[in-house]
Formats: sequence, structure tokens, C-alpha cells
Amino acid sequence: MKPHRQKKLGIILFIALGLSVSVGLILYAMTQNINLFYTPTQVALGEVDVGQRFRIGGMVKEGSLVSADDSLQVRFETTDYVHAVPIQYEGILPDLFREGQGIVAEGTVDVAGVFHASRVLAKHDENYMSQEVKAALDAAGVDTENHPTALVQPES
Amino acid sequence: MWLWFSKLGSPKWFYELSGRWLPWLVIPMALLLIVGIVWALLFVPPDYQQGNTIRIMYIHVPFASISLAFFPLMAVAGTITLVWRMKLADMVAKQAAPLGAWFTALALASGSIWGSDIWGTWWIWDGRLTSMLLQFFLLIGVISLRSALEDTDAAAKACAVLSIVGCINVFVIKFSVDWWNTLHQPAGDFSLSDEAANPPEVWVPLVIMIVAIYLFFAVSLILSTRNEILQRERRAQWVQELVEGH
Repeated sequence: MKPHRQKKLGIILFIALGLSVSVGLILYAMTQNINLFYTPTQVALGEVDVGQRFRIGGMVKEGSLVSADDSLQVRFETTDYVHAVPIQYEGILPDLFREGQGIVAEGTVDVAGVFHASRVLAKHDENYMSQEVKAALDAAGVDTENHPTALVQPES
Repeated sequence: MWLWFSKLGSPKWFYELSGRWLPWLVIPMALLLIVGIVWALLFVPPDYQQGNTIRIMYIHVPFASISLAFFPLMAVAGTITLVWRMKLADMVAKQAAPLGAWFTALALASGSIWGSDIWGTWWIWDGRLTSMLLQFFLLIGVISLRSALEDTDAAAKACAVLSIVGCINVFVIKFSVDWWNTLHQPAGDFSLSDEAANPPEVWVPLVIMIVAIYLFFAVSLILSTRNEILQRERRAQWVQELVEGH
């Protein structure tokens, strides 16, 4: 390679590397702003102010879902298997919503620690299979539960 | 190797070679597209959670994954343009930008349709969706930058620099689902060994569709580059002979 081309290539690589490092540092510094939701643990520990609008993400706790008979009102708890936060919501839930499913809810938390959601979204994981395969795996005792990793705190 | 490299840089040589390659790309592409689409739409079993909506994945994943190839491709072409001043590299880069915008738009649109049904929303400003939208705007930016500069050489250099910079966003898109918490799920594990994660009945048609869309991308890019060659080399003797010969 001719020296002047080598020099040019060097400059390009240097600029690309410099930009990547700076963008990487900016993104790292903004992690909390880029994260879509807070975990139930963060909410339970009081990292979010009362009345502030934010999103919470977790699993719908098994056996916690209570729906009203005469309205669309539901109460359930969302958990990351460390802490659970009760959620109150009135409206239409996504088809995928059920106990043990990952959800992301938008709203505010009150003084009592209850989250009042104005919107509930379903979050699913990256494993896809047919009903038959799911039934066969369940029968074989393989754990296939829908646990989006981001929703569950690593056990410490 | 250097001889081969400089030979590939000759538009005439590329035009002739790509003309001979094309049938070998088009035939497998057509076959795989037909097999993949029929398999995905008619024979893939409904998902245990998402039912028939899972079929959108067979369009969304191939388009989304090939969309990530455009900026690295344009950055490599741009570096060749800046360092070796190879004309062909810039022709490829020029034609890749609008193609990339279309592929990115299709990935975003198919993802929106999937999300509106399964998540309960067609759009959310999470790391994955936002960085993908940024890529779409960056590609529009590259296209506008080129059409704004009249001088071909200056446009080539400016677009090359923007493409190299835009490459950083590809890493952000790719790792957004791992670095931050998002509504979008991370990439699936479609390996042979781990049968529990995703069974072959799910991923084999997906792999077929991915290969088919990659071939579609290659064919589209080669066809539009050939047009670009004829356009830019219109004063060259071989192009005039080619045009008169027909």
C-alpha cells in the first residue's frame, strides 16, 4: 500500500474509533434514561417519586390477578421475584396478558406504593414454539416459562 | 490479490461478471422465496402464545437483519472511495442507500403490525425501535446529502464519511436489547444444539426466508449498480457499443 493511502486509512480508522468511544460513553452515561422501564425492585426501594409518570416492567405475579365483575377494572401485582408492586388498571388488556406473563405498564405510583396504570403492554420472550411442542416440553418437565430476562432481577 | 482488487474496481469488468452471476442468484432466490413464504404462511404451526401472528416474524426478521448490513457495506465502500478512489465502490454505495431505506422501512412497518397485535401498541420509544428509526433517518440523510451536492466526487466523499459515522448506530441497534431494558425481545437462540429454546419447525423456514431475502438484497443491489454503471460510464466506448448492439 502506498504511504499516502496508508495515512488516509489511518486517519479514517482513528476518527471512527474516536467517535465510537465517545458515542459509547454518552450512551453509557444515559443508561437510566434509555431504559424503557423501572423494575419492581427499583420502585419498591423508592427510586421513583410519587406522582412522577414512568413505566414499570415485570412479570404478572401468579395468583394476584383480581378483575371486577361489572367493569374493566383489574388489580394485579408485578414482580421481578425479588419485590412485587401492586398495579391498578382500568381498560382493555393485550391478548397476551395473563398471570406469569411479562408486562410493561405506564402510569404513576401513589403514597401507598400502588401503581395506577394508564396503559398496559405485553412483553414476550424470544422463544417460539407450537402448542404441541410446548405441551410435550411441559410434560417432560422442561422449564419453558415466558421469562423475558430483562424483567427478572438476577438472584443475588 | 491486488491485481484482482483493482480489476474488480473496473466498472466494465464488474458489469460483465455480474451479468454472468445474476441467473445463479435469481434462480435460488426465487425458489427459496416461494418455499419460504408457502412454508411460513401455511405450514408453520401456530405459536403457543401468539397463534398465527407469529407468521409476521418470517417477514420481519429477514428484513430487519439485512437492514443492519447497509451501513457496514456503505462504510466499507466509502473507505475504499476515500483511500483508493475506486469509482465502482461509490456506485455501489450510492445505490445501497435508497435500497437500505426501503429495507429499514419494511422492517419497521412489519414490526409495527406485529407489535400492535401482540404488545398492544404499534410504537414505543424503546432502545431497539428508536435506534432503528434513527437508521432510517440516517439513510434518508445520506440520500439527501448526495442529491444536495452536484459535484460527484464531493458527494462521494461526504457520503462516505456519513456512512462510516452511521456505522456506529448499527452496533447500537444490535446490542440495544442487551444493554438496556426494552419492550422488544432480544434475538432468539436458533441454534441446533438447544432444542428447548426454539424447535426446528420454527427456525428452519426462518433460515430459508433469511437466505432468500439476503439473495433478494444481492440481486437488487447488483441490478441497480449495473444501471448506475451504464449511467456514469455512458461516454465510455464499451457502453456505447453495448447500447448500439441491442
